[in-house]
Amino acid sequence: MNVLPIILGMAAVTYAPRLAGLWLRVEVPPFWQRFLRFVPIAAFSALVVPALPGERGEAGVRLFAALLAAVATWRFRKLWLGILVGMAAYWLLR
Amino acid sequence: MTSVVARDFFRGFRAVVPLWLGLIPFSLAYAVSARGAGLSVLDTLLMSALVFAGGSQFSAVGLLAAGASGVEIILTTLLLNTRHLLYGLSLSQRVPLRPAQRLLAAHFLTDEAYGVVLAEPRASFAYVLGVELSVFIPWNLFTLAGSLLGQGLPDPTRLGVDFVFPLAFLALLIPLLRGSVEVGVAVLSGVLALVASRFLTGGAALLLAGVVGSLTGAWCTAGAPAARPTEELEAP
Repeated sequence: MNVLPIILGMAAVTYAPRLAGLWLRVEVPPFWQRFLRFVPIAAFSALVVPALPGERGEAGVRLFAALLAAVATWRFRKLWLGILVGMAAYWLLR
Repeated sequence: MTSVVARDFFRGFRAVVPLWLGLIPFSLAYAVSARGAGLSVLDTLLMSALVFAGGSQFSAVGLLAAGASGVEIILTTLLLNTRHLLYGLSLSQRVPLRPAQRLLAAHFLTDEAYGVVLAEPRASFAYVLGVELSVFIPWNLFTLAGSLLGQGLPDPTRLGVDFVFPLAFLALLIPLLRGSVEVGVAVLSGVLALVASRFLTGGAALLLAGVVGSLTGAWCTAGAPAARPTEELEAP
């Protein structure tokens, strides 16, 4: 099976939006400046919520561990500490 | 000057290290499923190096195993990865990059790299590249390891290490929730992504939630003072 053309096609359609966003460094009107300010909030929340419950029937434990991680992050503002607290709680309780 | 560049690079590189706990098992799992779908070791490695987008690599391998056509696989990849357009637009407002730097930084842009760069108020190109390569290098090294070790590696969701990713993005989200509009946008986007993920592939659901959430935020802050300076953003 020759999958190289598929891989090259995938690489092209992945690189194009990655570059387009970085390249279009135009003067952004105020509305779109505010839009871009909300992109990380909307994107991070959309990455978190569907992935929180997991697919192994551990939704309760994972939500509780995430709550502890959220409190730790809010208090200490450290990425590694949020992951550590969340994973430790999850592994101890699952 | 060189030492400043090197320091920024390694600061960025180190900031991603906690995420390796999730990245490594997933690159192993990708490699095993790619080999299982009949890809050669070289093709498995090339996909990680040239496409370098975990979600679409998994979906491509699944589609290949199911006998999908190349066009279907490439269109699915486009749909999954269009969200990077938003990340690029957002980053280019914050980090000054020369054209050659943009060409290079674009290839290594991921959800994780965007999140970690955004949390740094004074990100330079060296910092961006450090962050990006700290995702790229382990992803590719462990693709190699997984494609050589083959079957018999444990399933990452059974170990629970898939939980690293929502935890990381939660930790990146929390410092951004500074007002009621921010919290409202987060709730709206999260619920929307959850509902949409039942009907759409993950990347498309994320794109929809990202666009609708950001538009809502922009509308709700119309007439408000201009965006607050990035210095208020504390690195998590």
